[in-house]
Amino acid sequence: MTTSTGPLVLPGEALDPSLIPSHPKHPLRLGPGLRHIPPSDIVPTVAGQLTTNSHKNSLWVEANSNRYIPQQNDPILATLLRTAPDSYLLTLSPHTAPASLPHLAFEGATKKTRPILSPGQLVYARVALANKHMDPELECVNPATGKADGLGPITGPGCAFDISLGFARRLLMARSREEGGVGVLEMLAGEEPGITGGGLSFETAVGRNGRVWVGSESAATVIVVGRALQETDRNGLGMEGQRRFVKKLLREMK
Amino acid sequence: MPREAEPSLNEKQFVAQALQENLRLDGREFDQYRPLELSFGDQYGVADVTLGRTRVLAKATAEVTVPYADRPLDGVFTIATELSPMASPSFEVNRPTETEVLLSRLLEKTVRRSGALDTESLCLVAGQKCWSVRVDVHVLAHDGNLIDASCAAVVAALRHFRKPDTSMDAGVLTVYTPAEREPVPLSWLHSPFCVTWSFFGEEGDIAVLDATWLEEQVRVGSCTVSLNKHGEICQIAKLGGTPVDAVALLQCTNVALARVKEFSDMLDAKLAEDAKRRDKGGFMAELRAENDR
Amino acid sequence: MTATAAPEAALGVLPRADGSAKYSHAGYTVTASVNGPIEAQRRDELASEAHVDVIVRPAAGVGGTRERHLEVILQSSLSQIILVKNFPRSLIQIVLQVEDSPENDYVNTKIVQASLNFAVMPALMQTAVLALLSAGVPMKATATATAVAIARVDGAKKITVDPSPRDIETAQSVHVLAFTSHDELLLAESEGDFTIGEWDEVYETAKGICCRPAAAAKEGMAMVLDDDDAGGTDMRQFLRSTMESKVAADLHWK
Repeated sequence: MTTSTGPLVLPGEALDPSLIPSHPKHPLRLGPGLRHIPPSDIVPTVAGQLTTNSHKNSLWVEANSNRYIPQQNDPILATLLRTAPDSYLLTLSPHTAPASLPHLAFEGATKKTRPILSPGQLVYARVALANKHMDPELECVNPATGKADGLGPITGPGCAFDISLGFARRLLMARSREEGGVGVLEMLAGEEPGITGGGLSFETAVGRNGRVWVGSESAATVIVVGRALQETDRNGLGMEGQRRFVKKLLREMK
Repeated sequence: MPREAEPSLNEKQFVAQALQENLRLDGREFDQYRPLELSFGDQYGVADVTLGRTRVLAKATAEVTVPYADRPLDGVFTIATELSPMASPSFEVNRPTETEVLLSRLLEKTVRRSGALDTESLCLVAGQKCWSVRVDVHVLAHDGNLIDASCAAVVAALRHFRKPDTSMDAGVLTVYTPAEREPVPLSWLHSPFCVTWSFFGEEGDIAVLDATWLEEQVRVGSCTVSLNKHGEICQIAKLGGTPVDAVALLQCTNVALARVKEFSDMLDAKLAEDAKRRDKGGFMAELRAENDR
Repeated sequence: MTATAAPEAALGVLPRADGSAKYSHAGYTVTASVNGPIEAQRRDELASEAHVDVIVRPAAGVGGTRERHLEVILQSSLSQIILVKNFPRSLIQIVLQVEDSPENDYVNTKIVQASLNFAVMPALMQTAVLALLSAGVPMKATATATAVAIARVDGAKKITVDPSPRDIETAQSVHVLAFTSHDELLLAESEGDFTIGEWDEVYETAKGICCRPAAAAKEGMAMVLDDDDAGGTDMRQFLRSTMESKVAADLHWK
């Protein structure tokens, strides 16, 4: 991969200039965990591993945490708090300011045909606007195409589980198994050879705010998937550990 | 007031539905406790209890003070529980919430009023000097069932605690510092433990032990039984909530007795282990200032 | 009970807090939890930066004036190293619970008038910094702290690092100093009688402990373990190695 990992950095440390990538065409892009002090200082702000992507000429600090800071274009799983005149107010994480979701930000919604949501409802949305001075704003529709793309209120039986932000990022990777090292979902769905008793049917919705919803007709399935995800996250299970835990869960299901 | 974090409707409905199907979110049985871990600190009287993701720390201390005017032959014994934002950002310092008041009252009734600690033994000079024993309960992490965890921590801390040795010589009271004489344990009569049942379902017919925070938000009623391993009940508290069948409640107390016996044995084992660890050179027998009677 | 010479730390000990740490050194054990950035109360919110709220709870007894004093000192120090401008109108809540303090075996404890020992401040500061790093709260720099006591024995001056309660009782003055990772003095509190010359010596001693350059530590692990040589453990190296294990555990899947 063009991504390479560097050493541990602590906040305020001076970076070794040789670690900063350069590219003839693209300007240097700074990701999370770094700040730019003009004219030319790049300083880490969190403790983590310095990572570079030479292809895109970007630099960031890889670290795990639990408190979500809203970023634009992030898919998130939010809970409805209450209805305001023109929008819904949703909480992204406990004890933080609510985000607003306009009544018309749904696919095909007009003043007369908008979806009616009740307090406590889970909604899968995308962050439309986020900056430090304003409360975040969400949307359930792609403004360019007018399509929902899977966003909207969550209906159907299932439950939401809390996970760490790093784990949510791993699940949202394009190839979460190879790049993110999370195989429990494939194992439970029966796509992994060597694990019998899988073949559970369920669907998931992962929010970058550290919440994942697992939906299935069978409550036992939801619980098994939720436990597998939380155990992998909390105890840092590798692929071998995940296999063992999934086998144990499937055995207990019988 | 700080905002309360509320679980979503989907989660609440799912938990209730799963319980109807005999399933708990963490795969436990209905009458199964989360793994209970108990450890003691380096100092006497510090007990750390972990019940799943709930953590409670209790510290017992003692000092010499004046007894209450209406009880000149008794010592003073207080249990202080103050929830801080460490347990959850929804708690504020100096603003007691319902949880805190209930916890405080239950511990009071279970440990203080049941006479677990012999307060007469705390008296030093009648009407003038007595020991004031104080237990501070600090909730470090709140994931449900604070009552059971706090009670276990308080009992463990008091049994682990050693107060300074004293002697009376012709009306003069001498309190020895730990450097002069080894401290002595408190006069402990019985060890009560709390067992909290949570009820679910429209009729309150599903009873579950050791609820997590999420289960506590969904429950329709709860009942805390305090008893010791001999089956002596200190108190039963069912404060409102959906009415529960009386026979079912009695069955709950039977299961509670079984659990309390387990806790008692575990506490005894941990205390013995801790004593052995401190007594590595076998000096404790020599250092004790008590006479063999 | 013997006071351990080497500091110990564990991160992420409280599963429901955004960040947490348990730190013990010289007989003091402190557990800290960090929550934030979360929504601040109307009366506490600041328009352009985050409000840092520090709460100090002693092990026994109710907190009194002494604890409030410690809270104010820690709040002003920590506000300077946290990037508060990133989170206007938010709250960063730090709760410090003292679990264990070294006992003076020659004196009976008094609870009602018990006030936190002055020398607990370095442990409080260090635990707070570790918990902030564990939570991933953006910071300008990290900080290290230490306590130094000056006693005049037989006319000669004796400087003790990490004084025990007995040392503090017999000392003429006790000082607590904290430095940032940029070698700047962050906190300086003193109690007792001392001259400016004595304070300069204390400053040099504390700086030697808190600001040891990384190059010297890299020469060999023996440097860190050998107490007699340097007159105290290298706090920065300790901080670094604690974070290394945490980051390695977080990113084990890579």
